[in-house]
Amino acid sequence: MTAFSRGQADAFSPLFLRYKQPLFGFFHRRVADPAQAEELTQETFLAVLRAAARYRQSALFRTYLYAVGFKILRAYRRKAAFRATFLGEQPPGREPAIGSAIETQALMREAVGKLEGLDREVLLLREFEQLSYAEIAGLLGLPLNTVRSRLFRARMALHDLLAAPASRPAAQEFAHFKERL
Amino acid sequence: MNTAAHPVAPEEIMAFLDGELAPTEAQAVAGHLGRCAECAGLAGKLRATSGWLAQWAVPPVPSSVEEAVMRQAAQVAAGHIPARPRSFFNPSMWGWKQWALGGGGVMAAAVILLVVSSAIFFRPVRQAEMAQQVAPSPEAEGYGSTRQPNDQPAVVKGKLAAGSAAVTQFDSLQAARYLPETRAGGGGAPLPTPQAAAAPMIARTVSLTIVVKDFAAARASLDSILLRHRGYAAQLTAATQENAPRSLQASLRIPAPELAAALAELKTLGRVQNESQSGEEVTQQHTDLVARLQNSRETEERLRAILEQRTGKIEDVLQVEEEIARVRGEIEQMEAEQQALEHRVEFASVDLQLTEEYKAELNSPSGSVWNRLRNAFVAGLRNAAETILGIVLFLEEDGPVLLIWLAILGLPVFLLVRRYRRMRARL
Repeated sequence: MTAFSRGQADAFSPLFLRYKQPLFGFFHRRVADPAQAEELTQETFLAVLRAAARYRQSALFRTYLYAVGFKILRAYRRKAAFRATFLGEQPPGREPAIGSAIETQALMREAVGKLEGLDREVLLLREFEQLSYAEIAGLLGLPLNTVRSRLFRARMALHDLLAAPASRPAAQEFAHFKERL
Repeated sequence: MNTAAHPVAPEEIMAFLDGELAPTEAQAVAGHLGRCAECAGLAGKLRATSGWLAQWAVPPVPSSVEEAVMRQAAQVAAGHIPARPRSFFNPSMWGWKQWALGGGGVMAAAVILLVVSSAIFFRPVRQAEMAQQVAPSPEAEGYGSTRQPNDQPAVVKGKLAAGSAAVTQFDSLQAARYLPETRAGGGGAPLPTPQAAAAPMIARTVSLTIVVKDFAAARASLDSILLRHRGYAAQLTAATQENAPRSLQASLRIPAPELAAALAELKTLGRVQNESQSGEEVTQQHTDLVARLQNSRETEERLRAILEQRTGKIEDVLQVEEEIARVRGEIEQMEAEQQALEHRVEFASVDLQLTEEYKAELNSPSGSVWNRLRNAFVAGLRNAAETILGIVLFLEEDGPVLLIWLAILGLPVFLLVRRYRRMRARL
């Protein structure tokens, strides 16, 4: 990235190839509409490109990319919630569950969706983005211990949900923390 | 699972599985897991959860995204930076800061508008504008809100001149100008009484509040104005208090034809703070009075004729005399009423209030420093108590209404905000 910001045009390509799939996954698991996930992925890379001239390497590019992705995700959520609340637009729906792969997706999405917002985010960042506890703490602005306890809680709740989907709503036991995301 | 039975916390087991522990801690946890079935079970649960989640696969990125991003990258490398799609003018992109700024701005604008409009609507009427509107020239005199058509003053003056010798004397020039018109209207034939002319009679009242710079000079000028216009003060009170502006309250009577000129002169005394004029139409009242008076006089004459021409018993004579006395009393009362009414028409009533523009004197005697400090402290305490009481009274008086409004306005806002938060959490 530093090379690209110095003007090496071909330096961006390997970065993009390396992170396009993780970033797409990041949005795909967090946004119900796949088309929206594509758009947000594209938007994130564009934002990185736009800010390339100002880029200063202070952390891993991965952390930087997810931080940008997070900002764009929050803006999207705000926008969609605003439209749904004040303009009466329907919030984006979920894709129909057809086929085993999509069925698993839907099941996972539903189970993860039952988690409390911040717990869910910590879990997804750890499981899929493979961020370290410290990186998650930096990204979400949380103390390290909070990240650890929330991650543990989220994993246990999810285990209960996936092991016995209908028997007990375990996630709700932990849903007393304030919504942050 | 408690720390007494297990030397490692459950979170530590998770951190161990995630590779987040230092080597020594990791070694301890690994050793414990080998010994403790319960903790091994927990580790199994955690591994299972991660394993299930790993099945959540994501389809590959569509090529369209790749093409679009690489195109943009090429543009950026060529030195062209694409514009930001976000716009400040799109409220759906606003964060809480923008909302707070926007809302605060609207509130501030509303408050400023309220303050400015109240300042405009409640400011004191300016004297210059008033003077121009009410008395554009000494010839065209003002009647304020009860102003009559243009010929009105002429008729009033003509009638007055005909009815009262005193008034003709006051305003002989103007009366002479208007008299022929009134007389000509009578067609030369003598009217039943001079006052019964068809012209309206108007009793005028003016109220003036003037702030003067030099009180003594204004007082002298007032006297000379009254003298010049043949008016008089029916009542006058002057107050001179220490450390306060001097003031004068007077009820003046000024001959109606002189009113405009006298008012114009009075206004030169200082700054007119307030002025109002009104005219009461008393024609009907006057006509009634005159007719009743005439009837009574005729009755009296008839009674006298009876007394002189007829002879009768002494009782009858006495009864007629009694009747004459009663009618005479009525006549005198009505004559007094008529005179008072005509006086009101002839002499306009001017309620004048003169106030001095107060300038505090530098060497005015004031109490000792200690006393002033004490007084200020007492006043401060009283003000604080008054303020607290005022707030309590306000809450008592307007609190319920405010609560109602808060409920009316706040409930929809609360519901919308709640819906928005839920929606954001769900997405």
